[in-house]
Amino acid sequence: MVLKKLSDLGSIVQKEPRKKLVIAAAQDKYSLNAVMNAANDNVIEPILIGDKDMIFSIAKLGGFNLDGIKIIDEPDTEVAVEIAVKMANRGEVDILMKGMVGTSTLLKAVLNKEWGLRTGNLLSHFALFEVETYHKLIAVTDVAMNIAPNLQEKISIVNNSVACLNKLGIPNPKVAVLGAVEMVNESMTATLDAALLSKMNQRDQIRNCIIDGPLAFDNAISHESAKHKGIRSEVAGDTDLLLMPDIEVGNVLYKSLVFFAKAKVASVILGASVPIVLTSRSDSEQAKYDSIILAAAAS
Amino acid sequence: MIKRLDEMVDLVRSAGRKYRIAVAWAHDANTLGALKMAYDLGFADPILIGIPTEISKSAKKAEVDITGLRIVEVGNDSEACAKAVELARSGDADVVMKGLVGTDKLLKAVMDKEKGILPPRAVMTYVCAFELPSYHKLLFMTDPAVIPFPDLDQKVAMANYAIEMANRFGIENPKVALVGPSEKVSRHFENSVEYSVMCKMSERGQIKRCVMDGPLDLFLACDPKSVEIKGIPTPVDGNADILLFPNLESSNPFYKSLMLFGGAELAGMICGPTKPVVVMSRSESEKSKFYCIALSCLMA
Repeated sequence: MVLKKLSDLGSIVQKEPRKKLVIAAAQDKYSLNAVMNAANDNVIEPILIGDKDMIFSIAKLGGFNLDGIKIIDEPDTEVAVEIAVKMANRGEVDILMKGMVGTSTLLKAVLNKEWGLRTGNLLSHFALFEVETYHKLIAVTDVAMNIAPNLQEKISIVNNSVACLNKLGIPNPKVAVLGAVEMVNESMTATLDAALLSKMNQRDQIRNCIIDGPLAFDNAISHESAKHKGIRSEVAGDTDLLLMPDIEVGNVLYKSLVFFAKAKVASVILGASVPIVLTSRSDSEQAKYDSIILAAAAS
Repeated sequence: MIKRLDEMVDLVRSAGRKYRIAVAWAHDANTLGALKMAYDLGFADPILIGIPTEISKSAKKAEVDITGLRIVEVGNDSEACAKAVELARSGDADVVMKGLVGTDKLLKAVMDKEKGILPPRAVMTYVCAFELPSYHKLLFMTDPAVIPFPDLDQKVAMANYAIEMANRFGIENPKVALVGPSEKVSRHFENSVEYSVMCKMSERGQIKRCVMDGPLDLFLACDPKSVEIKGIPTPVDGNADILLFPNLESSNPFYKSLMLFGGAELAGMICGPTKPVVVMSRSESEKSKFYCIALSCLMA
């Protein structure tokens, strides 16, 4: 199945039992709205942890009903986070979401050695874009979490993302390892790592995907451009996942897709025992909603 | 496509040329014997550099008739090396060959910045072709003799020289196996990292005219059955034409074990200088020495 729109994720989620989502410090208007919309669409079953009074007043303003919704009253955000993470740790929920609390507080709890959500895998950010000018959804990683991943970290990032794409019904995603050029150049580490990742994939050391790189951005997303350059590649022009060399490239690409290409995006943190929705304040309510759906599909 | 070294000799002879071979310090009986064979077959025009009386003495001892062979007189082995290289540099010789002189002395003359024949920045390496009773075609390898620990650039150059040689043998897209202890990539094995990079360079056309894969162990490189059993999809497919080794420590024992235990005959030469340089070791059979001369003529 080829996913063309973020709304296609809904059909994946509908086929599965409803996922439980816990939101820590739920007293955030935009996050709560997105959660309640997803709940009303029957995509998730929410558990709200936070300042009950504030949650109710946001609900009132937003005009949604909290009858039958599980709410745990905990005004202290740090404690709210701890409760939420512990629930995920015990397997009581499928998705963890950040509300009105700092990212660092949430991640610190996630990485807690006793009751956190460590799996031994690296945590990585996974963004799924709907861009009008591309023929399917395209995932980009890592644009927000890992600053300058080394080879081993890149392998983990790919593995996280591929497992997620597999869950989204793409059994053998095409992974383009991004570089400034498609040639191997000893003085550009990204191109060397790309060559290694390709070979490890050929040798079954990285599975369930097809990796090629280095590919320049144009080769990765355009058949024509790859053809023009004479690149023979299964991936070029049909990429499902773009692996960024570092956060600086990734973050700029992410933002230029959103601002210049008017792309829609859903994102999730992978590598913990449950997917984590960790959208930022600047993300639209739609992006938050789509991220919840993505997390539900990925869990 | 040439599958036996005798066919290579035929190919050299068919060119109808007499290759001028400058032999530095030609006081070595074995060398003279091999040269005489090439001379008698009509493709070699040896230039024997050394002390004429010593050359004649060696020839007599080896029962080689050197009548008709050119002799250039010099006083010592260093002068002989310099002279051989000078003749190659001036276009008066097509091949430089080592006689009874240390390899290091000859290569020093070859590499001399002002008077030598090694272009600046050129990588100098050794490539040879084996004929083995246990393999269905010639097997080229590099580098059993010159570069102790080649870096990536040197490995790429080694591959390119070997590919060029295979091309001369009529092997158009030789299968190049980058040899390691296993087919897996690991950061702990620097060579597996470089091999991955080389494979990608080959995919991207940065290394041309070959099919390259590695790391591959020797079985995956040369034994189709192992490829089948292991289930590793590799374009080399147990049918390698060229083996590239990670370093001298692994390549040299391989090279010698083929001669010692594998019943191999070989033809090898130094690549990189503007003219082929033949540096034979004592352990090579006279037949192999002759093949080395023929190979250098083919590549001249």
